[in-house]
Amino acid sequence: MPSAAPLSIWDLFQNADLIVKLVMVGLLVASVMVWAIAIEKLFLYSRTRRAMDSFEQAFWSGQSLEELYRALASRPSHSMAALFVAAMREWKRSIEGQPRSFAGLQMRIEKVMEVTIQREIGRLERHLLVLATVGSAGPFVGLFGTVWGIMTSFRAIAGQQSTSLAVVAPGIAEALFATAIGLIAAIPATIFYNKFVSDVNKQAQRLQGFADEFSAILSRQIDERG
Amino acid sequence: MRTAYTISAIGHAAVLLWSVWSLAAKPLPVSNEGLPVDLVTASEFSKITAGTQSAPKADTAKPLVEKVAEAKPIEDPTAKVVEKREVKAAREPPPAPESKPAEPESDKKQAEAPPDPIADALAKDEAKKPEPKKADAKPPTPPKKPAPPAPKFDPKQVAALLDKRDSARLAAAGETLNNAPSLGLSNGAAAQLSLSELDALRARLAQLWTVPAGAKDPQELVVLIRIKLKPDGRLAAPPIVLTSGKSPLFMAARDSAIRALFRGQPYDMLKPEHYEQWKDVEITFDPRDMIRG
Repeated sequence: MPSAAPLSIWDLFQNADLIVKLVMVGLLVASVMVWAIAIEKLFLYSRTRRAMDSFEQAFWSGQSLEELYRALASRPSHSMAALFVAAMREWKRSIEGQPRSFAGLQMRIEKVMEVTIQREIGRLERHLLVLATVGSAGPFVGLFGTVWGIMTSFRAIAGQQSTSLAVVAPGIAEALFATAIGLIAAIPATIFYNKFVSDVNKQAQRLQGFADEFSAILSRQIDERG
Repeated sequence: MRTAYTISAIGHAAVLLWSVWSLAAKPLPVSNEGLPVDLVTASEFSKITAGTQSAPKADTAKPLVEKVAEAKPIEDPTAKVVEKREVKAAREPPPAPESKPAEPESDKKQAEAPPDPIADALAKDEAKKPEPKKADAKPPTPPKKPAPPAPKFDPKQVAALLDKRDSARLAAAGETLNNAPSLGLSNGAAAQLSLSELDALRARLAQLWTVPAGAKDPQELVVLIRIKLKPDGRLAAPPIVLTSGKSPLFMAARDSAIRALFRGQPYDMLKPEHYEQWKDVEITFDPRDMIRG
């Protein structure tokens, strides 16, 4: 039985049952992952938003689309720029090829842009599932640790033939610590997941809107040339 | 992604370290303050010394004892002392008690073996008085009955049927002789006088309440009354009778109790500093034990 010394967090961890320890470590790892993903996504989304803003500015500035394509195609790009590059590549291939194929060009360009949007959204959404899982399963995992810890402490009561609070309290405190860690991991995960999902939706809508606009521009070009 | 993981891991490690160092559960402050306990001595419970109500107050109470014998409480200290209690005349003497009184009498005679000058003097006193119907105090024979052989009711001769004897009692017995009774009640047994305020209130009401005589079931006469008092000891509102009954005897007892409550005020035995305790009291008027709060 632990002495009456004040129970620090480390004591709580050290005295816990092996399974409770595993639960605690697992939840700690999950929490580290959640925060890592959150930090990464926060940076990614703000970067993506800034890139979209600057691209839209360049696109609507009246600059020649050929020049813009040449400037962007040389280096790998993401989101809206990637969408533009993919559409332009398909356009140029169809225009510059010897047998000019205007017939299915409109459809091909839309398909290409569709695929690029899916790829970009997939890139933005990557790892969000981890947040969702931790957010929903974290409390349950913590609860499992608590139930197991309380089971253990009740077995200790049975073994000691004593129900004094001093016997019961440390075990229950350890057990509840597992739920605490579970909640600590799950609450930020849920909050970040909700925020990121709405961010991804906003950016997907923006990409979709640009794709429609660009498709309309190219369609007009095709009709003029065809 | 790697930088994000590094930042996250470092952040967690920092939070954990901080919590290990600073979130150590402090033991709850144990309060060592003692609980306030009032010691109540035995004398603070209501006790009434044995004695008479009119006697002067003595420092050490001694019950009235006129005869050294096993202590026996006396019912009425004002009555005369006789050797043997007289049996009141009944209409028809039951045949069985003919022989019964003899046995306890002989027992008592043996117990009174040492000559008791007081008792003797009292007995002489009794003997001197010429009383027409009174039976002789000494003989162990059952007292004579003045009842005529034919139990015929004659209203004109009611006076002849009345018991004209003085009230009498047996000599008070105790371990030590004491002729000077101290203050108290005949049924009290405590060595020290102590009376709570509510007991004093009950005692006053008990004096003022007259129980209607002749009730078959005394439990029918129990009257429970709730009174509210003002700080000056007067009734703040008319008494509320909480028990109900139909018999006229109950109504008489109830009305008598209400009269007693009005006549008894102001209840100056109740101290104003304890007003909270007695501002709203329920009092049980019970003929069986006279009064109980």
